[in-house]
Amino acid sequence: MSQFNQGLTLFLSLLVEATPFLLLGVAFSSLLAILVDERKLVALTPKNPVLAAISGSLFGCLFPVCECGNVPVARRLLMQGAPSALAIGFLLAAPTVNPIVFWATWVAFRDQPSMVFWRVGLTILISVIIACVFSVQKDLRPFLQPAIARQLLPPEPEPALATASDSPLLTRGTYLLQSTGTVKLDQPLASTLDTAVLPTATWTIKAQAVLEMMLQEFRELGAVLVMGSAIAATVQVAIPREWILALGQGPITSILAMMLLAWVVSICSTVDSFFALSFASIFTSGSILAFLVFGPMIDLKNISLLLTTFKSRAVIYLFVLAAQLTFVFTLAVNLYTSW
Amino acid sequence: MKRTFPWPIALDALALLLWGLMILRYWWTGRLAVLLHPDYHWLAIGAGWLLLLMAVWRGAALLWSPKSLNTPHIALLPRRWSLAVLLAVAAFGIIYIPRPFTSDTALARGIADPVALTRSQPQRFARNTPPEERSLIDWIRLLNVYPEPDAYTDEPVNITGFVIHPPNWPEDYLMAARFVLTCCAADAYPVGLPVQLLGDRTEFAPDSWVNITGTMMTATVDGQRRLVIEPEEVLPVPEPKNPYEF
Repeated sequence: MSQFNQGLTLFLSLLVEATPFLLLGVAFSSLLAILVDERKLVALTPKNPVLAAISGSLFGCLFPVCECGNVPVARRLLMQGAPSALAIGFLLAAPTVNPIVFWATWVAFRDQPSMVFWRVGLTILISVIIACVFSVQKDLRPFLQPAIARQLLPPEPEPALATASDSPLLTRGTYLLQSTGTVKLDQPLASTLDTAVLPTATWTIKAQAVLEMMLQEFRELGAVLVMGSAIAATVQVAIPREWILALGQGPITSILAMMLLAWVVSICSTVDSFFALSFASIFTSGSILAFLVFGPMIDLKNISLLLTTFKSRAVIYLFVLAAQLTFVFTLAVNLYTSW
Repeated sequence: MKRTFPWPIALDALALLLWGLMILRYWWTGRLAVLLHPDYHWLAIGAGWLLLLMAVWRGAALLWSPKSLNTPHIALLPRRWSLAVLLAVAAFGIIYIPRPFTSDTALARGIADPVALTRSQPQRFARNTPPEERSLIDWIRLLNVYPEPDAYTDEPVNITGFVIHPPNWPEDYLMAARFVLTCCAADAYPVGLPVQLLGDRTEFAPDSWVNITGTMMTATVDGQRRLVIEPEEVLPVPEPKNPYEF
């Protein structure tokens, strides 16, 4: 009984601590989806692949989105002619490299502030490396889903696309459901997007749209947060401490275990530091870092999102590269730093 | 034509309302202290109010324009599932009263083992504090920096903690313990000091709270040389408003 109560206290404390950050995350991502025009950003970014990769991975500071919000933004970046390095850098780094995640990680790891810097630094490093690898492929189209690739084909922008991008940010996330379910892939993307574009954008309508988006994201991510917290609490309470100790103290096993956990739990990056916190006393620092770096890049939840934009071959490349790099770097942290 | 009742909007509003109320209720009843570090209470309370406001906004749509609901969206989880999960958790959270961790938890986390003193690096050096004003965690941090128990012999002690009966210890020993929090209950870890009683420890039930005044000494407990409190007085006290130390 006391174990049960302990589990519930853990569960509720994770929920109550994470809810403000989740709300903040969905509020910012909804607001910025309406305020920031990424076409201008694309025009400003450098064309050199390394510089583009670096700026892509820092874009997250402008779009504080977690890993569910970044796929639609990355797709829009690609469609507006961003270099592949920029889009991939953004895709991998944005969920971690943004002010809300800084703050949440800082709050969670007040005892180990270096965790924040390691997390951000390593994420940028890995994202830039993978973005550079992808930039070797000058033409990304073979990696993209046919419907998206076709949008990249025409040398001059189609009139239909232009209408859609009049207000491209209002269409955030609207395409995915249809691309996986209801819409034929040969249908022009713009006509799909058009259905969700709001006709006039007075501020009341914009505010309504922001709130609507916040609610939708909160509903979904909140449910994922509940499940993540439940898993964290159960693991802590139900699994014998000796097992966890044996797993969590090994420099290699701990990293593999936390990466697997990150992949399965799919918890939103604005709140995953609280989840990781409940393992911080037992697991090696490198493995906690692996959880915080790898989880936001690729997890079970956003693989289905990635597949709406990329072909499975590209998703596998992303996954394998991200997993290997995270493993190697965090193992180095475990073995060669005393932190 | 009779308009059908817009259940999806009503349920959204209800879920937001219950979530907001759940958080605010913990605040009103003082249970937020069981879940979070006091530095972050304002965050949770702010989120609670924001959720209530969103519930009002959503509820208003019931009266005015229920049409706006039909925006398509990424569907990772079916909408009904997410709603059901949120509603169920909020309904439960409103009824359930979270309790602080108990002696079982502390024992399961290896509190009786002197090696596992604390994982936190000392934030401040408490040596300057007069011994009788040191809290339990101050003592533990001090021990972390300078572990030799003899260094503290005869120093006065005055601490409050909950009672643990470590199974391998003699019957006249108990441990006075507290959980330490840096962020929320998820990272709570227990710290404690052994107390050598004159009588039997069954007088003080596990998980009851005591205030102990006495002096420090060194003794061997369960084969380990340790810093031990020799009490002059052990007083039962009510559970503190905030059961954790920081």
